[in-house]
Amino acid sequence: MTPLIELNSITRLYGTVIGVNDITLTLPPGAYGLLGPNGAGKSTLLNLMTGQLSPTLGTVQVLGHAPRNNPKYLSRIGYLPASEGLYSNVSAIDWVSYLVELQGFGRRGARTIASESLERVGMTEHMHRNIAEYSRGMRQRTRLAQAIAHRPEFLILDEPFNGLDPIARHQMTELLRRWIEEGHSLILASHVLHEIESITRSFLLVCGGRLLASGSIEDIDELLADVPSEMRIRTGTPHELASVLMQEELVDRAEIGEDGAVVVATRTAVRVYQFLTDSAAAGRFEVTEIHSSDESLQGVFDSLMKLHRGEL
Amino acid sequence: MNAIRGVSAVFRFEWKRSFSVPRMVWWFLLTSFPPALFGMIRLLIDRPSAGSSGADAMEFTIPIGVTILCPGVVCIMGVFLWATPAITSELQGQSWVYLAVRPHGATSVLLGKYLVAATWTLPAGLIASALSVLILAPEDPGRLVWVQWRLVLLSCLSYAAVFTLIGVVFTRRTLAVGICYVIFVEVFLSMIPAVVNSFTIQFRLRCLFVRWMGWNEPGFSDMPMAQPFQAYFGNESDWWHLGMLLGTTAALLVAATLILGRRQFTTSAETDA
Repeated sequence: MTPLIELNSITRLYGTVIGVNDITLTLPPGAYGLLGPNGAGKSTLLNLMTGQLSPTLGTVQVLGHAPRNNPKYLSRIGYLPASEGLYSNVSAIDWVSYLVELQGFGRRGARTIASESLERVGMTEHMHRNIAEYSRGMRQRTRLAQAIAHRPEFLILDEPFNGLDPIARHQMTELLRRWIEEGHSLILASHVLHEIESITRSFLLVCGGRLLASGSIEDIDELLADVPSEMRIRTGTPHELASVLMQEELVDRAEIGEDGAVVVATRTAVRVYQFLTDSAAAGRFEVTEIHSSDESLQGVFDSLMKLHRGEL
Repeated sequence: MNAIRGVSAVFRFEWKRSFSVPRMVWWFLLTSFPPALFGMIRLLIDRPSAGSSGADAMEFTIPIGVTILCPGVVCIMGVFLWATPAITSELQGQSWVYLAVRPHGATSVLLGKYLVAATWTLPAGLIASALSVLILAPEDPGRLVWVQWRLVLLSCLSYAAVFTLIGVVFTRRTLAVGICYVIFVEVFLSMIPAVVNSFTIQFRLRCLFVRWMGWNEPGFSDMPMAQPFQAYFGNESDWWHLGMLLGTTAALLVAATLILGRRQFTTSAETDA
């Protein structure tokens, strides 16, 4: 089977700035989340996949094609960019029909296809109104309609949930789930973990232009199993708590932060949570706040970056 | 086939978009400017009596005036404002990415917008020159209108190609570069009586204008008023100049297409990478 994506030691430089740094990857057809903080290199990777950029070093193959200036390849993909870029004085049906025509369809056929696609994203009622009158959610749905209208084999989405309210997010999630269920491939870039988690369990984690990890959430958890995670615990008796946590060998390191909170590094976060719950129940320590910085995606990335550099 | 379909789609879409109030106002101003100016001149200046030296001079000044304003100012301004920002407007509006990821998308947009620039300006030039000739009422209005219309068509096609190329090469300060090009190349360089002026569009248009007006023919060419046009008489035929002009236009479009195909624009900032 032809791999969906085949990246071979690709590096992309913007002058002296590295956008993507020596990434090698082969993925079979399927649904993937491309996860990374802002500026991680996600959009650069997607630009390489859509053929808008060519790699400075290495080779890119998607669906068995080199993407750059390749009409055959471009007829097989759909792309939703992160930037909005809609014409204000045009209706959704005119705009999507126009883009479908550029995909190689005839005028009438394009109109029908565009109409069906807009119906699919729930825009039938509004498709004859000017885009300038649309809400953010409606614009996002219109943008998605242009990406899926021509029934591409591979959908490339860059931050599709940006600016959507909870209802619109749910609708978008459902739509993408259906897309996957129909057997299509997609790659979805986001800097928010749960957005991707709601659609696929396969991740690519990028940070600093590098591919830090790939696989399922369980694979990444396993990778981070031995990596100490950091917790901040706010209590009225920080010194006592820090001392007990060290004595009980629940933490590798404990210190008192500038704000008076206990900052600990632990490889057994679950045991620490259990200890704190039991202690609070027994009235031993009064814990007012627990915050695990590693719960945030940035924490995961920081840990992975350290792991990548051999610092952990 | 897909590329032709793409060009046709862009052409129709952009034409439809052009029916906006600001663009229609601009088109109307462009079209009415030469007739309005010539109308005021007619009102303010008395026409010299037939057979006087003034009347002979009018035989040259009327066609020159119409040529400067219609195939010149109207066509240049019209295609300049359409063709020069063809790509940069898409980049700045961040809409380029939707077009660039379509098969032959970039080429379709380039050529489609080129055709829109030329065909949007063409009626303005045709109407402006016809009305101007009607107002100025020269001796042979039919001939002058026919000459002007051919020049308007050529001017629209060739200048649109020049500005399209400028728009592809300079994605920043595009309009400023376009204005500099018009001033330094099409105005100053085309005036220099040396081989260098043959590289300008203006030179070819002037050569065709002089020939189609018959000013290089005996009887006209020896008149004192025809002397400034000696530089455009040359030995080349009309077809040579026509071929050069259309050949240059095609070459400019091919160059623009090739350059655009090599350029890489990122989606984040939509700037050249």
